[in-house]
Amino acid sequence: MTNSVAELENSDCIFVIGSNTTSSHPLVATRIFRAKQKGARLIVADPRKIHLALMADTYVRQNLGTDVALINGIIHVILERGWQDQGFVEERTEGIEELKKTIQSYTPEKVSEITGVSAEDIVKIAEDFGTADAASIVYCMGITQHVTGVDNVKSLANLAMLTGNVGKESTGVNPLRGQNNVQGACDMGGLPNVYPGYQAVTMPDNQKKFESRWSASLSDQVGRTVSDMLSGLSDGSLKALYVMGENPMLSDPDTAHVEEALKAAELLVVQDIFFTPTAELAHVVLPGSSFAEKDGTFTNTERRVMRVRKAIEPVGDSRPDWQIIQEISNRLGYAMAYDSPEAIMNEIAEVTPSYGGITYDRLEGSGLQWPCPDRDHPGTKFLHKDAFARGKGMFHAIEFMPPAETVDPEFPFWLTTGRIHVHYHTGTMTRNSPTLNAEVSEGFLEINPGDASQLGIREGDEVKVISRRGQIRVKTVFTDRVERGLVFMPFHFVESNANALTNPALDPIAKIPELKVCAVRVEKAA
Amino acid sequence: MDYRTALTTCTYCGCGCNLYLEVLDGQIIDTIPCKTSPVNEGKLCIKGWNVHEFVQSPNRLTRPLLRKEGTFEEVSWDEALEFTASKLRDIKEGYGGDSIGFLTSAKATNEENYLLQKFARAALGTNNVDHCARL
Amino acid sequence: MIKEVKKRVKELLDSGKITGFLGLRDMNGHVGPHLFCDGGDLEALVLGDRERPGDSRYPLNKQLIHLARSYPEDTFGVLVRGCDERGLKTLSTWNQLHPDKVVPVGIACPQELAEACECLRPYPDEFVCGEKVEGCPYDSVAQLDGIDLAARFDHWMREFEKCIKCYGCRDICPMCFCKECSLESNELIRTGDIPPEMPLFHLTRAVHMAGRCIDCGLCNEACPADIPLRTLYKKVADIIDEEFHYRPGYVADQKSPLNILSQPGVE
Repeated sequence: MTNSVAELENSDCIFVIGSNTTSSHPLVATRIFRAKQKGARLIVADPRKIHLALMADTYVRQNLGTDVALINGIIHVILERGWQDQGFVEERTEGIEELKKTIQSYTPEKVSEITGVSAEDIVKIAEDFGTADAASIVYCMGITQHVTGVDNVKSLANLAMLTGNVGKESTGVNPLRGQNNVQGACDMGGLPNVYPGYQAVTMPDNQKKFESRWSASLSDQVGRTVSDMLSGLSDGSLKALYVMGENPMLSDPDTAHVEEALKAAELLVVQDIFFTPTAELAHVVLPGSSFAEKDGTFTNTERRVMRVRKAIEPVGDSRPDWQIIQEISNRLGYAMAYDSPEAIMNEIAEVTPSYGGITYDRLEGSGLQWPCPDRDHPGTKFLHKDAFARGKGMFHAIEFMPPAETVDPEFPFWLTTGRIHVHYHTGTMTRNSPTLNAEVSEGFLEINPGDASQLGIREGDEVKVISRRGQIRVKTVFTDRVERGLVFMPFHFVESNANALTNPALDPIAKIPELKVCAVRVEKAA
Repeated sequence: MDYRTALTTCTYCGCGCNLYLEVLDGQIIDTIPCKTSPVNEGKLCIKGWNVHEFVQSPNRLTRPLLRKEGTFEEVSWDEALEFTASKLRDIKEGYGGDSIGFLTSAKATNEENYLLQKFARAALGTNNVDHCARL
Repeated sequence: MIKEVKKRVKELLDSGKITGFLGLRDMNGHVGPHLFCDGGDLEALVLGDRERPGDSRYPLNKQLIHLARSYPEDTFGVLVRGCDERGLKTLSTWNQLHPDKVVPVGIACPQELAEACECLRPYPDEFVCGEKVEGCPYDSVAQLDGIDLAARFDHWMREFEKCIKCYGCRDICPMCFCKECSLESNELIRTGDIPPEMPLFHLTRAVHMAGRCIDCGLCNEACPADIPLRTLYKKVADIIDEEFHYRPGYVADQKSPLNILSQPGVE
């Protein structure tokens, strides 16, 4: 997030798009409720009528994968009515002319045709957002998990910059990071192109710095992404995969392809706390310890680094992941001798400029938000205060493109997937929690009652859901949360694995799969 | 009697709520939201309130498992670690470090993520490091 | 004030009268529940007024029940305010805590907190320190009673609509000790939905709080949707008082008219 969670409370307008906030980030929703209580306008755009839609001043259901068109339409109206922040645009941005040219044709009427959102609603959103003193954008995977994921994010950045809603309190472009430590995993260099702190592996200076600190010779080639690793296993160019605390058999699109890839590995190492479907395919399974059994830090969605503290001894013979890695490294001949997670954090601070001032002592209390470059730095509440990282903010002129897969007579339903409030990701932990599993114990397909009656199914019936990649059986829930022609499934449940159906088509830049859109057929189960 | 409360950070979503795990004689018996947390101010969601439940689940993996002739066998740590290290060494020597991929974890700590990517890059010489950031 | 509390706790621990004192500790830059077992180690003991009076209160009676269930023979000290002491008395009538096994160490709440809580009696009987201040009336209830029924209903429905069904109101409640909870019954309230069935979920809980709620307000503070639950339960408490002349915990040993658990033949 460019800004902090608590700042949302004081926004005058909050635009939530592609985030089911009350289910997936409930404590962010708290701040949205409070802003609303204080009089903020709430705009919710989501193909599914999510909980937050009930409280929205304006709720719109855009057609799946039409976000760029919707945002361009909003920008079109803002420019037409003169609601942009001209001072901010002139001083802090460039590229407005190209944007204007592209935006020209995105009239509310045309956008309405693409998105299914009425022209009046587009104007209303533009007015609420464009005329607010401090407006925030909140988004999540509903924006990013598309072949146009990067385009979607850039479009939201266009909207924020155009209205001067960046670099000040209670504004910003705020992606809600899904996993508890997805921010930290990225910060720590769990990416193929960067060392910790987003230092490019292709920059000779960075390579030299890490070679010297780590006493090793390093590769200057950008590595493989998850999807490249899987295809590498399939074609034999990758021989081994070491998986720590991930479950691609459920989390990745097109499960049949994932399974074929993992089975092709000469060596599959899985380090986890439960015996996941991915672990079932491993050659060796190493039992790790959970967050309750070790010390360390997590970095939350607002870049706040916070302590994790050991509450109990490791369960059974399990070991904290850092000890397992250290042991293997030592056996391989690359010596590691950390005596505690704190010793590792001290090294992180040394080599990661944005974590430079972070020590365990300083994390007592509220933690620290990076960038925190030195011991005296108080941390950073919101980013881009006086300037963007690249100097001036760049507008990107972006044209709408349809999703990779669209409905046709053979596969007439749009399928979108997501999380529910009770469960988390692949359910490895939540389904082992008796209370949570009692609240919702199985997967389901949300379908509009109109579609259901046309298919001749009764609520609760099991149906077959079929896509070009696979088929599953699942029970149905009738609801107007989804409009006719759209169905929804949570992806937490291995017994009705939504990702057996999803489309692995990738965004060309971010390599993020289009998990939020695919075409399916729904059939009465025999 | 050993009763303690440990202040920690929730392991579910990116909100990062602070909570106390209530421990009695080695069993985590409850979760209590931290009132003075800047993130959650004494509130939690249903997942957070029950985050202690999975930790000591009977389904937890408690011993290393090694696949022998198609089926898993419980083995010692020494055997599991030696197997992993020697296979990684063989594959690196046979095909090069870039024939190995690593998935770090959005569930593990910063320290553990740092260590795994360092292991991949420094010990095996590959930048094949990624995780489910996109999922 | 803290000095007197520490002195009292030290006496209790040193004399061996209690196994441990359940209080609040300032540690890791936060305030949380802690069991103090050593009279010489009370440095970090605090009363739960970090930045504002009462801003770091915890349901210590709930933690006390956890201890008492595992160690029924031991006696524990516990930090109490007026509401907590009402809780102890009420829990004893519901057979959840044995009064002989609990030594309350009481503090009186300051005016500011008494007003914020609209607390009828902001001090415990067995109090050790602080200055007793007058109770405050339920203004929030009077305010809602002043608007017409339809508007009042709308108000509550709008509030309930925000509910994310965390069960936090129940989970934080020192008076929610049942092993099975109606709120989780799929027959009564459909599981899995957010918001949960309106107004059924919240009214079910309100009914269960009748004759039980000691008005500590922790539910209100734990609610991620800021639903003014305390006001709802205050209203319920008023109704019980009008109908049965009973308010939980104001008179020791007085049982709730709705307490049938302790009657012969009812388990």
